[in-house]
Amino acid sequence: MVMTHIALVVSGIAWMYPFLWTLGSSLKDTDEFFARGLNPMPQQLMWSNYQQAWEQASFGTYFVNTLLITLGTCVFTLLATAMAGYVLARAPFPGRGVCLFLISATLFLPHGYTIIPIFDLMEKLGLLNSLFSIIIVQAAGGIVFGTFLFMGYFQAIDRELEDAARVDGASFHQTFWRIMLPLSGPMVATVGLFTAISAWNSYFIPLVFTLARPELRTLSVGMYAFIGENTTNWTLLCAGSIITLVPIIALFVMLQRFFVNGLAGAVKG
Amino acid sequence: MNVRRQSLPGRIWAARWSYVYALPMMVLLVGFIIYPIGASLGYTFYRWNGIGDPSQYVGLDNFRRIMDDSIFWGAVRHTFVYVAVVVPVQLLLALALALVLNQKRLRFASLYRTIFFLPVVTSAAVVGVVIQLLFSSFGDVINNILLDLHLINGYIDWLGDPRFAMAIIIVVGIWHTLGYNLIYFLAGLQTIPEDLYEAAKIDGAGRIASFRYITIPMLRSVGVVILLLALVGSFQIFDMVQILTNGGPYFATEVVNTYIYHLAFGRTGEVEPDVGLASAASFFYGLLLITLSVVQVVVLRTLVRRRAAR
Amino acid sequence: MHRRTLMKAAVAAAFAPTLGSALAACGSDDKPTAAKEITSWDWLVSQAAWMDQEIKLFQQAHGGGTIKKATQASDKYPDLISLAVRSDTAPDVFQLPRTPAIEEQVKSGWLLPLDKLATDAWKSRFGPGWFEAGGNTFDGKTYSAPFNGAGSNLQLYCHHGLFKEAGLTNSDGSVKLPKTWDDVTRAAEAITGKSAGKAFGLGFGNSGNAALAWWIEIFCRGAGAVGGTNTIDYRVGKWTYASDRNYADFLTLLLDWKNRGFFFPTSMSVSDEQARAFFAQGKFGMIVNGVWSQAAWKEAKFTDYSLVTLPSPTSTPKGTFYYGQASSARMFGISAKTKEPDTALAWLDWLYSKEAGRRWVKAGLGLSVYPENNDPSGIEFAPFAQYVETSKTNLPGPDPKLRNPEMAKVKVQAVKPDVNDVAAGLFTGQLKNVAAALSDLEGRLNKAQDDAIAAAVAAGAKVSAADNVFADWDPVKPYQTKKS
Repeated sequence: MVMTHIALVVSGIAWMYPFLWTLGSSLKDTDEFFARGLNPMPQQLMWSNYQQAWEQASFGTYFVNTLLITLGTCVFTLLATAMAGYVLARAPFPGRGVCLFLISATLFLPHGYTIIPIFDLMEKLGLLNSLFSIIIVQAAGGIVFGTFLFMGYFQAIDRELEDAARVDGASFHQTFWRIMLPLSGPMVATVGLFTAISAWNSYFIPLVFTLARPELRTLSVGMYAFIGENTTNWTLLCAGSIITLVPIIALFVMLQRFFVNGLAGAVKG
Repeated sequence: MNVRRQSLPGRIWAARWSYVYALPMMVLLVGFIIYPIGASLGYTFYRWNGIGDPSQYVGLDNFRRIMDDSIFWGAVRHTFVYVAVVVPVQLLLALALALVLNQKRLRFASLYRTIFFLPVVTSAAVVGVVIQLLFSSFGDVINNILLDLHLINGYIDWLGDPRFAMAIIIVVGIWHTLGYNLIYFLAGLQTIPEDLYEAAKIDGAGRIASFRYITIPMLRSVGVVILLLALVGSFQIFDMVQILTNGGPYFATEVVNTYIYHLAFGRTGEVEPDVGLASAASFFYGLLLITLSVVQVVVLRTLVRRRAAR
Repeated sequence: MHRRTLMKAAVAAAFAPTLGSALAACGSDDKPTAAKEITSWDWLVSQAAWMDQEIKLFQQAHGGGTIKKATQASDKYPDLISLAVRSDTAPDVFQLPRTPAIEEQVKSGWLLPLDKLATDAWKSRFGPGWFEAGGNTFDGKTYSAPFNGAGSNLQLYCHHGLFKEAGLTNSDGSVKLPKTWDDVTRAAEAITGKSAGKAFGLGFGNSGNAALAWWIEIFCRGAGAVGGTNTIDYRVGKWTYASDRNYADFLTLLLDWKNRGFFFPTSMSVSDEQARAFFAQGKFGMIVNGVWSQAAWKEAKFTDYSLVTLPSPTSTPKGTFYYGQASSARMFGISAKTKEPDTALAWLDWLYSKEAGRRWVKAGLGLSVYPENNDPSGIEFAPFAQYVETSKTNLPGPDPKLRNPEMAKVKVQAVKPDVNDVAAGLFTGQLKNVAAALSDLEGRLNKAQDDAIAAAVAAGAKVSAADNVFADWDPVKPYQTKKS
């Protein structure tokens, strides 16, 4: 066991090295950044890098935007996928096969150069340059995988529970909202986490849909704009990276308990 | 049985709420995934720089150009090399790590799990920039260490050298997405009932035997899903390559998705986008993948059947 | 206050003959009409400080109107503009993207004709020859105006500290700058050798896949390959990568430098910006770069360097940089869909003013279209003064669009691999044979050009291959393109 721990600790530190280096570098000053090279430890702590990134480089605004987009995307995705996953698993209806076929086909279909049609569609809906447009498009991006996961999870839940509810006179809606959905808590956490990860990190969609309004940019877009729009300040860039990374890491740490259980549930089905 | 006897409209009416529940998902699916794919299929018949509406009809010429382009086939080759290395290495590593972390007696298991999963939650954009910065800015530090150890006899430009760039992308790719497979395997291992192992122990089976006769068979169905997801993900490799090498040097790390991206958005801001060609490349690649997966499914089925027959 | 009066005077002088109504208000009332809010896009990354200052001054002069600026990365810029136009959210004023060609931008209705602004009096302040058809003027309407003076695009920068350490000094202690290809070889050898692995002679940052071609550009122009990497050789009207042996000679020399370990080892994978930082830190002694990097170096307090231009096989360059007025006669334009044309025109007028140009030169960003702004005697910063000086060797060259405006209809498709790719392929050893690679490149480029002319002819344009040939051009003399 001791050997296992030693091996895990050593490889774990190596695994985390890029993050440790970024964290350390975000607290260096520019000269030190180049002088210290691969050594992650800063000599003195330049907290002002964070203040600068937050204020001058607008990471504060980007942070709020990213948070709103991530929350919105999670709500939309969870609603759409949980409901669809439930009926696909438990409430057979004519056309279910077609639905399933369409969903699975998109896993393999080439996604191609689809940004222009989506862009035109959003324009016709009058949604361009709003946070809502980003939320909708990103929610759409995650629904296939989420629906599959919920479907698997609901299939694995004991049928007797549902039947008992029916006998007690619960309606279709009550069965779903009061019994099945609460039972699928771990899966809600799982799909929520997957969605949050991709929404928080996505770059291309927010870039295209916030073109005309830089104040709507997300952290990823901001990071890139920061590289392109300024003669780059590497330590600020590292501070920006940490600002981008920490919230999503924290979310994972909070949700990870449910996460493996949720997946185990879906896998059983 | 009851349901079958009803007329179709009756069955549809009975399932009306199912449709309502499936509707939001289907609207998103059709509106933002299926429709755009269909629309971009239309572009493949035009030479078009993405400005205004496509007007210069060229028939199947774009597909012909793609098939004649050695750079495209190079990109296909690089993608397959990437998949062929990343998928097996990653799955084996993830399985091994999952077996270690799944031990009941191991303390701090969830801490280790968090550490190894961590790269997954971080965006390729951020991580890629950091790694690019590490290699390109401090590559000489790494070089000096290796020179001192006499492992190399000249400086190496890690991401700028065609012999090493792809290898680094592969290593970074394994590092970045291993966590997913780790978690999937852990979830799979948790579904194996503990009493199976207990029973095996009582029967005198060792650890290797119970791995061979319990763990592997019980993981098979999960394993197929994990394999599938790993394949789908690796075939779409893009961000990391785009950020680390931009497909270079001289196309040495160009993968299909960066190839398409370069066509669709121009490579430097001085070359016009070729949206028609980009769409054609994308569809052609998609067809290639679909053909492959069909072949794969057929082969797998025959194998399974043969085994069942034995 | 002072700025406001200055602006009023400038506007009044420029617009006196035909004042547009709103501009009149701006120029003659005591209280200028507050300008409205407009958006302005550019890709002037290194020059952002200048732009921010101009915006501030403009807003002061116009009683607080707001200009919302967005600076986009240059490689994304054309896509972003094109998507913005598509969604009717184009910025009111924008730096014209390099693609699509300005002809197409005009044809697709992106740009507002500057009728209200571009009067004959206004145009005349730029000097003669700037508003010809094909440059910024189409069907008699003007859409943009010149901003930059004709400077040399690229220079070879030399790090004084490393040169001195390597003993590359003249008898008076000044740094001995390289003039010829052999000088560069010797200097690179000395720096690499003396530093014992700490520093290298040469370096570049090719992650953007452009920097390597800059070397070809300045070394081959000086050798007499007058097309460089940007244009065909107008003496014969064709690309000459293989038929002009200077290219092969230089690439062979470049590979020799590489094999002898003169280049900074991670040159292929660092970005141009990183490379500039490393050069400033003394990690290598010479880099090919443009005048835009001077501002960044100054900011990083690195000023101890010199530049030379057009290193050539012999001490006299046989070619130089050439400019055609038509292709450099544009910088900013106004969106046809702007809702605030008056403010947009006033802002455009401000950007093209003599004062803005003077501040541009003063900030060391480049040359102004107004010759009086470019007086080297008024420039204190030595490397920038050197730049201004070397730019005098630039010459006007042939311009096919000026001789035959129909040539604007010829749209040449880009080839791939292009010169950047081929250079990278040779440098990394993926392409083995210099001559074969260059002849393949030349063949594909010339075919693309022939195809484009054939397609234009088929579409009814009156053009031929002969429109690209200027047999009477002597590359060491200024050339006046005759209109047909």
